[in-house]
Amino acid sequence: MLDLADVSTYYGNIRALRGISLTVAPGEIVTLIGTNGAGKTTTLRTILGTVRPHRGTVSFNGHRLDTLTTNRIVRLGIAQSPEGRRIFPRMTVLENLELGAFVRPDREAIAPDLERVFTLFPRLRERSAQKGGTLSGGEQQMLAIGRALMARPALLLLDEPSMGLSPILVDTIFRIVEDINRQGTTILLVEQNARMALRVAHRGYVIQTGRIVLHDAAAALLRSDLVRKTYLGEK
Amino acid sequence: MTVDARRPLGWAALVAALLVYPFVDRALGFQTVHAVSDGMIYVLLALGLNIVVGYAGLLDLGYAAFFAIGAYSMGLLNSPVLGSPLYGYPWSFWVCIWIAAVVSALLGVAIGAPTLRVRGDYLAIITLGFGEIIPVAIRNLGDVTIEIGSWRPIERLNLTGGENGVNPVGRPQLPGVPFETDPVPWYFLILVIGALSLWAMNRLRDSRLGRAWMAIREDETAADCTGVNPISTKLLAFALGASFSGFAGSVYAAKLQAITPGAFEFQVSIMLLCMVVLGGAGSLKGVILGGMLITLFDRVVLTQTTFMVRALGRTIGVPALATADLTLWRWFFFGLGLVLVMLLRPEGLAGRRLRPAPVADEAEDILDVVRAPRVDGVPEWLRERAQNGVAAAPAILDVRSVTKRFGGVVALNEVDLVVPRGAIIGLIGPNGAGKTTFFNVVTGLVRPDGGHITFNGVGLVGLRPNAIVARGIARTFQSIRLFQNMTVLENALVGEHCRLTATVPGAVLRPPAVIAEETRARARARELLTFVGLGGKENELARNLPYGDQRRLEIARALATEPRLLLLDEPSAGMNPREAQTLTELIGLLRRELALSVLLIEHHMEVVMGISDRITVLDYGTRIAEGTPAAIQRDSRVIEAYLGTGYEQDLAG
Repeated sequence: MLDLADVSTYYGNIRALRGISLTVAPGEIVTLIGTNGAGKTTTLRTILGTVRPHRGTVSFNGHRLDTLTTNRIVRLGIAQSPEGRRIFPRMTVLENLELGAFVRPDREAIAPDLERVFTLFPRLRERSAQKGGTLSGGEQQMLAIGRALMARPALLLLDEPSMGLSPILVDTIFRIVEDINRQGTTILLVEQNARMALRVAHRGYVIQTGRIVLHDAAAALLRSDLVRKTYLGEK
Repeated sequence: MTVDARRPLGWAALVAALLVYPFVDRALGFQTVHAVSDGMIYVLLALGLNIVVGYAGLLDLGYAAFFAIGAYSMGLLNSPVLGSPLYGYPWSFWVCIWIAAVVSALLGVAIGAPTLRVRGDYLAIITLGFGEIIPVAIRNLGDVTIEIGSWRPIERLNLTGGENGVNPVGRPQLPGVPFETDPVPWYFLILVIGALSLWAMNRLRDSRLGRAWMAIREDETAADCTGVNPISTKLLAFALGASFSGFAGSVYAAKLQAITPGAFEFQVSIMLLCMVVLGGAGSLKGVILGGMLITLFDRVVLTQTTFMVRALGRTIGVPALATADLTLWRWFFFGLGLVLVMLLRPEGLAGRRLRPAPVADEAEDILDVVRAPRVDGVPEWLRERAQNGVAAAPAILDVRSVTKRFGGVVALNEVDLVVPRGAIIGLIGPNGAGKTTFFNVVTGLVRPDGGHITFNGVGLVGLRPNAIVARGIARTFQSIRLFQNMTVLENALVGEHCRLTATVPGAVLRPPAVIAEETRARARARELLTFVGLGGKENELARNLPYGDQRRLEIARALATEPRLLLLDEPSAGMNPREAQTLTELIGLLRRELALSVLLIEHHMEVVMGISDRITVLDYGTRIAEGTPAAIQRDSRVIEAYLGTGYEQDLAG
């Protein structure tokens, strides 16, 4: 479904990605784990076309993405959340969510999806008339995830969805990830909470300084020495 | 900074070129000295505007008003003919130039004061209005009569010369130097004033005050919470920016011998802004370049090209070309140039380029990236400060029944919280429970509707954030708020702002005490950066640091304010468990070695349960539990509202 082949991305003359290859098959949850600055977010940006790869190809269901603009890529069925919580601060919570469905042709299915988001995050329902900018940091995180869900993408890119959320919501978030995956959405998940990510994912890639150093079934990665020491903080 | 030490030859060549230029010009018959002198006046104006726009980030669309104030201060005091009883005889140019600078500075404060609370678009519109008001006022104060009943205290007073302006304006008197129609003495006068101004600005920029301006430009709230007083800092920027236009206006009036209100219209403000933006806001070199380019293009290139085009038109017999006047197209060319620069080099011709930092080298072991803090790395000066603290109360922070409402939402409802001296207190709760609002109330960003906050025995409610920092409370932000376009070192130095004392004369003249203070501040900042693991990255822009380093820098900046209480808002957000462990060690170390008290908002339970002495739990603005970590983990309300049942197995791994 998604295929990155030998992708290198530069910022100026600095190579942030050094020949990354990864695939995501339909129906999968794939997680990408690594330290800060390893290139996880750059990988997501490259997929969405906000930065361009200098070498290699990105393709999605047979379309080459690395030559398309971001809004074309989104229309092919890829959505990202939370993009650094970039919600629309002067619009209400409801308007933010409705904008998430902006590119969808199936207008009649939007209302049930809105209901689904409100069921997942009751706090957003309470605050649906409030301006996005008045929400607390964690609530903005929920809104960003809710907005991405409203796009009902074929492929959802999640960039640290659990960041800044309370423990009970972290559990909820990962349950949601599994739920929407069962409903047919393919997911590429970037997470610092490697333990939780590897529990819900089918497969995982470990990225270090712009290179994939390890990829395997998620359960196998959970047992690997490298992952346990470097990313799970075990002695 | 040390450019002159490294490139003395280049500087000598530049000075020599500036000194011989007018004589070469005369020998070759170019007659460009007039234009260059006027160009330098505009450069001086643009440099003054650069303090307001480039350093302090306050968009000023009416800067020509200060130019007018400077020119009229000179014109009115120095004119030998003006029929005003106020200005009966001309004053010396050398006195008037200082009066003009002071008058402009005072007006800078006067216009700055009402605009302190507005930023961006609104500030620009207010300055736009001010820029319109001054020329109109000058036009209409040429014939003032005040009538109270039949009593006329002032009758037909010509205060400003009205539409006709002031003519003539007195010239500078200097024995042996004829300030007449020959432009060369003027050139040197302006060169000296410009060089002195540049020297002063350069020193201001590299001082505590210059850093404060830039911090305000980058993030006013963060600057306030780092101990920079935004009110006095902005007023100082307005005042100093205006004072340089006082110098420029004075020389302009004296050189031109006549001033009219028309010389200070809106276009002049825009042209000055173009000079700053074209060259690179915040860069002295850039503004000089931008100013000279625009003036010389206007005064030399366009006129000369017009001659050439007309000659060409006559030769080939095209009347349209023979009568063309390219100077009428000046705004077209300015606009085109500006658009091109913004597209190709948005930071300006000589602005600071924003390059991302290199990612960790391939060979670097990934485990080394996360360096553990070391006890022997704790800066000695911080230890000394820690011992100087006077214990005025058993609890360092005592918050009693604090309430805060936003419209109908009760963000904080009668919340009590005590931080004992040297304790680490955790503050947890569901998203939107009011934790960050609590921090904002303690740090003075938000004023509570009720309750008391006592720090070290002194009430804090009503104090400004920067005053609270000075008393010893520092904070970090949930979404990192660094001064993005300043270097790592500058970020830490802004933290020391409230512990430094240099004033404007000190920053410019640099007496030994100021040099010693600045040297010490830099040494301390470097020590602190090494301690948190940022050694070797001092000169990178904060925006180019990877995420984890940005978090560390924010903590270093907070420590630089020499706090007794540190408020950390989700410091481990976005960190992996290993990095979070390192952070936990750092916080523990600060408490052990520096007796620092810490109030911590955190969602990573490994962190908060591991180091907190006690924990307070908020839900919907109300305290629902308070106790030791062990008790909190068993509390059924906390489990229901916050922890959930999944987390224990998560901790167990």
